[in-house]
Amino acid sequence: MKRFSGWTLASPATLLVVIFLVLPVLATIATTFMTPAGPFATYTSFFGSGFRRTVLWRTIQISAITTIISLVIGFITAFVVSRAPGWLKSILIIAAVFPLLTGVVVRSFAWLIILGKNGILNSTLLSLGLISEPATMLYTQGAVIVAMVYLFVPLMILTLAGVLESIPDDLIQASASLGARPVATFMQVIFPLAVPGLIVGAVLVFTGSFTAYATPQLLGGEAQMVMGTLMYQQAMVTFDWVSASTIAAIMVVITIAVVLLMTRIARRLNPMAV
Amino acid sequence: MTNKLHPALIAFTVLVFFFLVGPLVIVIGSALSDTTYLTFPPQGLSLRWFENIFQISAFRRTIITSLQIAFLSTFIALLIGIPAAYALNRYRIQLPGWLSTLFILPVLVPELVLGFSILKNVAAQFSAPIFLSLVIGHSLLVLPYVVRVISASLASFDFSIEEAAISLGSPPLKTFFTILLPNVRSGVIAAFILSFITSINDVSISIFMTGPGISTLPIQILAHMEQFFDPTVASVSVLLMALTVAVMAVVERTLGLTFLAK
Amino acid sequence: MTQNLSIQNITAHYGTTKVLEDLSLDIAEGELVSLLGASGCGKTTTLRLVAGFLEPTSGTIELGGKDLTRLPAHQRNIGLVFQNYALFPHLSVADNVGFGLKQRGISGEDKAKRVGAMLERVGLAHLADRLPGALSGGQKQRVALARALVIEPPLLMFDEPLSNLDAKLRVDMRVEIRQLQRANGTTSVYVTHDQEEAFSISDRVAIMHAGRIMQLDTPEVLYQRPANAFVARFVGFENLIPMKVVARDGAKVTAEMAGGVKLTLGLEHFGAIPDSFILACRADGLAVTDNVNLEGIPATLGLRTYLGRAYQYQCETGAGLLLANGPLTRPLDIGANAKLVPVPEQCTILAPEAEA
Repeated sequence: MKRFSGWTLASPATLLVVIFLVLPVLATIATTFMTPAGPFATYTSFFGSGFRRTVLWRTIQISAITTIISLVIGFITAFVVSRAPGWLKSILIIAAVFPLLTGVVVRSFAWLIILGKNGILNSTLLSLGLISEPATMLYTQGAVIVAMVYLFVPLMILTLAGVLESIPDDLIQASASLGARPVATFMQVIFPLAVPGLIVGAVLVFTGSFTAYATPQLLGGEAQMVMGTLMYQQAMVTFDWVSASTIAAIMVVITIAVVLLMTRIARRLNPMAV
Repeated sequence: MTNKLHPALIAFTVLVFFFLVGPLVIVIGSALSDTTYLTFPPQGLSLRWFENIFQISAFRRTIITSLQIAFLSTFIALLIGIPAAYALNRYRIQLPGWLSTLFILPVLVPELVLGFSILKNVAAQFSAPIFLSLVIGHSLLVLPYVVRVISASLASFDFSIEEAAISLGSPPLKTFFTILLPNVRSGVIAAFILSFITSINDVSISIFMTGPGISTLPIQILAHMEQFFDPTVASVSVLLMALTVAVMAVVERTLGLTFLAK
Repeated sequence: MTQNLSIQNITAHYGTTKVLEDLSLDIAEGELVSLLGASGCGKTTTLRLVAGFLEPTSGTIELGGKDLTRLPAHQRNIGLVFQNYALFPHLSVADNVGFGLKQRGISGEDKAKRVGAMLERVGLAHLADRLPGALSGGQKQRVALARALVIEPPLLMFDEPLSNLDAKLRVDMRVEIRQLQRANGTTSVYVTHDQEEAFSISDRVAIMHAGRIMQLDTPEVLYQRPANAFVARFVGFENLIPMKVVARDGAKVTAEMAGGVKLTLGLEHFGAIPDSFILACRADGLAVTDNVNLEGIPATLGLRTYLGRAYQYQCETGAGLLLANGPLTRPLDIGANAKLVPVPEQCTILAPEAEA
């Protein structure tokens, strides 16, 4: 009876996910193996194309760089936020939550204004005499990375601030009472305890960057095509749905592999979960 | 703690927050410019670009569509997500472990893949209306937020209260509404807000589901940007930010903002 | 190696709230002094000030003649044992114990030897490689103790170290702590809200209230001769009877309480008796007798409870409700008239309380 009622309550959500997510996504992946040219033809053609290999490699590169920069900025900032007095902490958290709740289009658009040929950065540099003619900043890998970092730093700050706050003050005081200087406390107590949080943050940023669409589309354009923009182009511009499905399958596999690998590492590193 | 922070750390943090807030200030400034091109600092102050939004019918239409989709999908996600979260917490031992993983799949699977798969295998396959496909896609997109937030508030809920109510003669369904829901009220509000904002801002699913006469606001913004580089987009962005501020104010009133940091 | 601790005229605030007021405390080398009081009395604040986690508004803290007041916590060299153990969850038992040695640049063989010897002493050598998460509460507390002791600090401080353990383990652990402390001769400060724990473990106990020390003395003196009404109530004097002297006759003093009852008190027991005072005694110090001809406080007996060693009575008297004990051989009934006779050896004289 109870078993029945548990399933009854969970079934509408379960059905929605199974029917409209699991099955369609599996179907998308399945079709890539069912082409007339053989089961792996679409993959050999994907990896056989120099252009597509470049796109995949560029996407990995952009995601990795974005992840590393976001980790460093996010961790330092989160550390300061977690040590800030109450009122200041609230303000800083609001300042981090607000961009997070602002859409990706708006946030990418902001960088379009800043980095454009007649954008603020160029006009500032020109008026300072640092450059003599407007520099091309849009549609470069740098532009995409800056905007992606901008996208993910708030998420990183909030994730890591939560992790750092959950480290009991007692431990930091115990460390000091045993003679550890602040830097030693940071390196030997705070950092090791934050590693699982850093891994979670890294997974969020890497998978988010790897599958991003709007930001690379706006700031990278055709010149900096990544997996997301390539997939959209195949699906909606050239209507090559088999090719789009192949890209989708590769994105799913890489995303899930990263998540599984990192959560496994995080679990191994998390001593609290003994 | 008497531990002082190193001045360099503080300076770094100030720069980071400047980096976080600055670009949004620039967007607001550009929206107020009186020029026909995007510029910052604004030259001349004017609200005419805000008027312009409502003169363009595509914006008028997509704003309404986006609001409809956001409300509908949030409502559906709450309707099925609250019972699911309840079942996961209350009948933990009876339900299989993979069920909670199933409910976070929509954040695990790349949104682009989800959007494309719904287009290919639902909308195209069964010629489902685009509006319906959008609602399905967005409901899936926000379901994990609902399940996660409600589960978090149920984690601290003492289910023996519920049993106490039932032992005092309250029927189970009534107990759900009179005992359980009031105790997870803040969770429901938070779930609603997160879902609504997520839906309103979505690009990666909606981008695959546009058709004649139907699209969402973020997609319309992208389309507009391809043709024009005037302050209209900045104005729409400011409208979206204002919506976010309004929502944050509601959260602050009801729950305190630190709630969102969890 | 062990040193005396001297706290002079410390005042401390949390924000604008004053939490310690002009507190002074001297602890001799090798002595264990407990700070005892209810939560919010300032005992933990005192400990945190000495540890260096808080700065006093004014006053000085000296250890072995060296001023610590403005020294950062990590330079103070004080062993601390925390209520929640505060073991580093990512380090093994051995690494936890070795943490302080590592900070002092002690490594390799030397460190391993000292850690091993210390774990041996607390009986945990076999758990050296475990993570703290896998230990029981008692084991965690032993690791915390070992970690604080291994750095051979001149001062050890305990912050309610046993409050998370069950009753039986608490008694065992406090004996163990006392033995280790005695053996090392380390000056110690022990913060607790448990009177029995404080009295059993300490050389001297400071009873604290509202940011002040109400009395600092040996457990024996505190228990038998509290210095004021607050301490008297704290250590379990149920009966505090305000009295006024009405006649003095050589070694005898006659005093009157509310309701007009007069008692004759001998100076040989009480020393000097001021004109206005409080007669304080536990229920044991008021003997119930049905011989109404004896000199004592006339009472009507109320509820009787069985204590095992005596019967205890709720007694209605002219001076209000008093608690008194009577012999097991003669249980008396509710409503009986009786006399309550103070036992001079178990009574003490206190200054009257200031009007609130």
